[in-house]
Amino acid sequence: MKFASRQSLATTVRFGSRAISLLAAAVLICEGVGCKRTSKSVPPDPNAPVEVILPERGVYTGAFMDFGDAEDEVTLEMIEEFENMVGKHQAIIASSSYWGEESFPTRNLNVIWRHGALPLVFWSPWDHPYEQNRGPDKFGLNAIIEGKWDAYIDRWGDAAREFGKPMIVAFGVEMNGDWFPWSGWFYGADELVGDTPNQWEGPEHFKKAYRYVVDRVRARGAANIKWMFHTNNYSYPLDTWNFAAAYYPGPGYVDWLGLSVYGQQFKDEPWANVPSLVDWPYEEIARLDPKTPIMIAEWATGEFPRSGNKGAWIQEGLDLFRKRYPRIKAAIYWHERWQNPDQTYSNLRVNSSVESLNAYRNGVAHPDWLGNLVLRPLAEKR
Amino acid sequence: MEEDPPHTVTPFVFSDPAGKRWPRLRLALLIAGILVFLGTVLFVQTLFVAPQLSLPFSLRQLKGQLKSLQKANPAGQPPVNLALWEKFAAARLAAKRPPGPAPSPAAHPRKKSQSNEVRLAFYTNGDPYSFGSLEQHASQITHLCPEWMAMTNGSGDLQIDADSRLPKLTASKGIALMPLLTNLVGDTWQPEAVENLAHSPIETQDRFIQKVLTILNDAKAAGVVIDWEQVDPAYKKDITVFLDRFTDALHYDDKQLWLCVQPGQDLDYIDFEALSDNVDRFVALLFDETSDIDAPGPLGSRRWFEGWLSVLMDGAETKQWIIALGSYGYDWTGGAKKAELISFPEAMSRASYAEVAGVTVAAPDYNPYFYYEDADKDHSVWFLDVVTFLNQLRQVREAKAGGVAIYRLGTEDVSIWDALNVPHDLKMNDASRSLLEVLKGTDTIADVGEGEIVSVDESQSDGLRTLAVDKDGYLTAAYSKFPQFPTLYHQGAGDPHQVALTFDDGPDPKWTPEVLDILKAANVKAAFFLVGANAEKYPGLVRRIVAEGHEIGNHTYYHPNLALCWPEHVRLELNATQLLLETITGRSTTLFRPPYAADTSPSKISELTPLQIAQDLGYLVVLENIDPQDWAQPGADIILQRIKQQRHDGSIILLHDAGGDREQTVEALPRILDYLQTRGDSIVSLSTLVGTTRDAVMPPIQTKGRSLNHFVSGAGFTIFHAAEEFLWAFMIVATALVVLRTLTVIWLAARFRRSCSGSFAEPISVIVAAYNEGKVIAETLRAVLATDYAGEVEVIVVDDGSQDETTAEVEAVAANDPRVRLLRQENRGKARALQRGLAAIRTGIVVFLDADTHCQRDTLRRLVQPFADERVGAVSGHAKVGNLRTFIAKCQALEYTCGFNLDRRAYTRWNCMTVVPGAISAIRKSAIDDAGGLSLETLAEDTDLTLALHKRSQRIVYVPEAIAWTEAPETVRTLARQRFRWAYGTLQCLWKHRDMIFNWRYRALGWFSLPSVWFFQIILVAITPMVDLFLLASLPFGAWRAVLPFVIAFLSMDVLLATLACILERESVLRAWRILPMRLIYRPMLSYVIWKAILRAVKGAFVSWGKLERTASVPVQV
Repeated sequence: MKFASRQSLATTVRFGSRAISLLAAAVLICEGVGCKRTSKSVPPDPNAPVEVILPERGVYTGAFMDFGDAEDEVTLEMIEEFENMVGKHQAIIASSSYWGEESFPTRNLNVIWRHGALPLVFWSPWDHPYEQNRGPDKFGLNAIIEGKWDAYIDRWGDAAREFGKPMIVAFGVEMNGDWFPWSGWFYGADELVGDTPNQWEGPEHFKKAYRYVVDRVRARGAANIKWMFHTNNYSYPLDTWNFAAAYYPGPGYVDWLGLSVYGQQFKDEPWANVPSLVDWPYEEIARLDPKTPIMIAEWATGEFPRSGNKGAWIQEGLDLFRKRYPRIKAAIYWHERWQNPDQTYSNLRVNSSVESLNAYRNGVAHPDWLGNLVLRPLAEKR
Repeated sequence: MEEDPPHTVTPFVFSDPAGKRWPRLRLALLIAGILVFLGTVLFVQTLFVAPQLSLPFSLRQLKGQLKSLQKANPAGQPPVNLALWEKFAAARLAAKRPPGPAPSPAAHPRKKSQSNEVRLAFYTNGDPYSFGSLEQHASQITHLCPEWMAMTNGSGDLQIDADSRLPKLTASKGIALMPLLTNLVGDTWQPEAVENLAHSPIETQDRFIQKVLTILNDAKAAGVVIDWEQVDPAYKKDITVFLDRFTDALHYDDKQLWLCVQPGQDLDYIDFEALSDNVDRFVALLFDETSDIDAPGPLGSRRWFEGWLSVLMDGAETKQWIIALGSYGYDWTGGAKKAELISFPEAMSRASYAEVAGVTVAAPDYNPYFYYEDADKDHSVWFLDVVTFLNQLRQVREAKAGGVAIYRLGTEDVSIWDALNVPHDLKMNDASRSLLEVLKGTDTIADVGEGEIVSVDESQSDGLRTLAVDKDGYLTAAYSKFPQFPTLYHQGAGDPHQVALTFDDGPDPKWTPEVLDILKAANVKAAFFLVGANAEKYPGLVRRIVAEGHEIGNHTYYHPNLALCWPEHVRLELNATQLLLETITGRSTTLFRPPYAADTSPSKISELTPLQIAQDLGYLVVLENIDPQDWAQPGADIILQRIKQQRHDGSIILLHDAGGDREQTVEALPRILDYLQTRGDSIVSLSTLVGTTRDAVMPPIQTKGRSLNHFVSGAGFTIFHAAEEFLWAFMIVATALVVLRTLTVIWLAARFRRSCSGSFAEPISVIVAAYNEGKVIAETLRAVLATDYAGEVEVIVVDDGSQDETTAEVEAVAANDPRVRLLRQENRGKARALQRGLAAIRTGIVVFLDADTHCQRDTLRRLVQPFADERVGAVSGHAKVGNLRTFIAKCQALEYTCGFNLDRRAYTRWNCMTVVPGAISAIRKSAIDDAGGLSLETLAEDTDLTLALHKRSQRIVYVPEAIAWTEAPETVRTLARQRFRWAYGTLQCLWKHRDMIFNWRYRALGWFSLPSVWFFQIILVAITPMVDLFLLASLPFGAWRAVLPFVIAFLSMDVLLATLACILERESVLRAWRILPMRLIYRPMLSYVIWKAILRAVKGAFVSWGKLERTASVPVQV
């Protein structure tokens, strides 16, 4: 039932030539005698081997809901509550797997997949207490590259293979900033590697670790994972060595290109409109590879009525993501509220005001915002 | 006797000349009786001897489970908190504006004088102790703040959850009701609900305000208490304007607005300067210093409390402030995300079981705490008691606040109610001091642990704490002994993602297999709590449940409410079910769930007792905490929805697979399984939930030494089952027959027609047999002689050897009237007297009349009228009871009216009358001769003769107008004797003429009236007392529901018949109701005489013929 309203499959299913001719014959016969073509409307069984494919038209809608301190307390209740609120089923649901937990979130992923959504996992190599701006800890990039966490990575890969359903993994998000411990900033930043031009210590460390991790997980047979290279929209510091291109591990390691797009989050920040936040970063990341689909992997803004109109901002985002940037195939809203050390609140939730909720509801109601995944059966590997 | 040598006696029906029948029968009965007795004893013994259940120690023991942990207080003082109130004070000082205009009294009249101390109490819905405490301490509080309204979103939508008992209760106690308006929905604060509303258009706000006002008016509330938390201070201005508007609206309606103030960051959204002009009260919640999601720490330490108190009251109009003091505790489990809120008794219980030592209330925090260990998990408990309360109360009064609030009813240290009157200097006399020092172990049930698999400890004892005042003037305490409260120790919360399915009340032949099929398809294991009575009916299903890997539990035998049962009854229920399940499955079960306990978790000691009994027998008591109430058939959608709502807080789901139409449960079940799996839950067995194995909770029974027991109990259950089935079948058949017969009789009686009219005036003879009838015989004769019968009448009195003045009386009448003739004989019995009379008559028509039966003037005329028809051989008159002096006689009058009269009317139609009564009847002499004369073989010569006449194809009719007034026995004793004679005689006649039954020759007689006599007068009467006993015995088990329709059917048939008879007789219909009490007396009595008669019949020769006849021949004593 959850997959019932998805786009017609016949155009997306790859048939063998024999199948095509059979189908053509069947279509002819059917049209001739006026019978119904039922084969088109049978969705693939999500419990059988399937893959998620990119929609011909439209953008997948998704969200991260406030899943707790470690971003991993996924509950069906929270998902359903959010969906009721925004009036749309989620095609993608994001949550985290922090290395400090040293576990694979099988239960979360099952909840999400059984709910009919594609799990997006931020696999972030850091330790308790998961606070930003602290610099590298025991899960530092060097420790990873040196193989100190091989056992954990292998276990994680095994569990991902066991899970077996499609999933997207973003290792080391927003590495082009200076707040997360895996940022190039902490690993030599703009120091050149040897004397090679355009190879800086910071980004090279990250690339190495990224490839190392992906290789290990792939070696465990977790072919169900699509890997996402996920940067902040603007690098910080905004310098050549810190641009996305410097961190990009290469097309063999990236199935999705992801961007974080945040408007004003804190009281003292300026308001920013959506094109100013996306236009340049979209161009930047699109240049990395001509084909790889792009995802707005996180997007939200705080509710600061004096600075700007959040409802209008959301409306603009939901409009432009599907119209202005053709390679954007998914957008994940970051639905969270927190209190800052200075007692102020950052309320990124869609319902931070009646207006913003209405804007979100109305925006995602557009048919081009796809709440249901398009699936394709996978041939059994022999 | 000498006149009656045995050889002259006609062979008597049932006589056993050889005399062997009885001794043989007696021996057989004796042997059978001993066997039945032994079997019963063995069976009952197996029921009462408790099965030996052996549970893993850890599952059973409450004591010793909790261990004290000695730790230094690691809490320290979180510096952030300290900084907070100081920071707030500074901010406030800086923002201080010149005081605004004083609030005008007219703008918002206050209902209560400001000078009186307000005592506000917070109330929690759904906590029976909250209600109990309110009832008990109502006189000590002035305001009540119950949970009521929650704001769910920014559109002003409200979720209402109110206790409907409160408006009435508070009104009657003179307490002002101040419902709470919060933004807490479920477990989550909804700051957006407040922020967005405050930021929304005026119309939205006004709609919201009107909605709240309506709710307050409906509740007859005096105002509202607002508690908003986690609100973004960015909205401070909006909120201030909104609250001002809200307050104005309330004041306009003569209501107050009180605003809760949370110390800490939440303060920032409140503009005290602006709001103090209008808001009636600020309620400072000075507790929860450490919240349930923080690391363990004090709930209201001295510095924290006094810091905030002074900051809040500084420069404020102190009377406007009410200070809420906590009285509760938190139990932090190591590793858990959130502490559990516990009551003071629950804190005491934990300390008591863990044998904690050294709990004190002392400097610097003056906040008690202790540590303990349960199932290898560390626990930290911090709580507030009367000592913290008194120290804080003193500060509040010193600060001249407007009053105190108590958070909350139901969790408090009850001593605080005494503490309210402790003087300010804390100087107490010994009596009031010991009131606070002795901790009473009350009936309050304390819950310890998590999960719905519970153990019980009913013990109660008092505790002791020693109070003192330290050098700083603060009250201190040292707990030397903790009070014990009845305690429910919870286990089996399991992993948060584990959930167990349980099904109650089965097995059921329709629904259980469907449930099992669904579970099998989903490969899910559940637990079935079986009702013994159902398991006994469907053992195959029980075996299937076990064979498919599910667990079974004991749900009692008959599903009674155990809280209302005697302890022995509880044990019997449990043992019988256990034995049965062992017999069927070869496994014991240690799982038990009490019937009806699902409604609420136990809050009364009477509900605890059966659990204690079960526990003593070795059971694990399994409650539930997800109850979608599927038994009420709310629809599959609702069942699923309720499970969704409750799943978050529970791990054991209760469903039912029997006890009604369970289609909705079966429909919902696959969706429930799907939902749980989608939710990421693993559906586990109960044994997994408690961390043990299936074999541990359902141990296979040891075959050695128990096989005999099981054979006996197995056979016992089978026989019991058969008896039960038979009785039910009998009830159903009997009821159907009674209804059928009643309707037939009514139909026939209604169609009764006069047999003929015209004149008949042939000579007739009246025969009166008399034995010691001196008192009545003259009157009887005078009545007969005064007849208006046109024909010739001769009256023959046969004196059967009377020893009284009978002879003289008759001779006196005869002297004046030649129509009377007196014959005399030695005492030889009524039948022989009648024979003698018959031999002496000269006419063709004989009228039999009892010596105590009075004719009316028209009786004889009407009685013989039918003889105008040549085919008529006999006519029955209508005997009525003339002596209506006693209840017994009145009852018989009714019995004559409806039983005899109605039946005869009906039987006339089909010519199947079974008895022409000897009291008043007329028979053709030729017919008597044709039938072989009057027989001496039975005690009921009239019935005997009637049946003999039928054999000769005589027509027998009834003339209801031929009334004769007879004397009925007036005592139970004489009545019983009469009825015994009738019963024995009837039995004899039925036996003698057994060839007539179901004989086509006799049509209605053979197929209707004689079988009726057999079934309704003999069998039914004999068996009903057993049915009655069975019903009585089953009443405690709730069988009355099933039995009621039958009882109603029986009684209504009785009433219906009686009413109809009374109408036909033109008697008062009200009399018909007498049939109901009559049943109570008649049924046992009739049953007794029937059994006596049957026994006599079986004994045969053992009954003295002569003696019996003599007894029988004695006319009824007047």
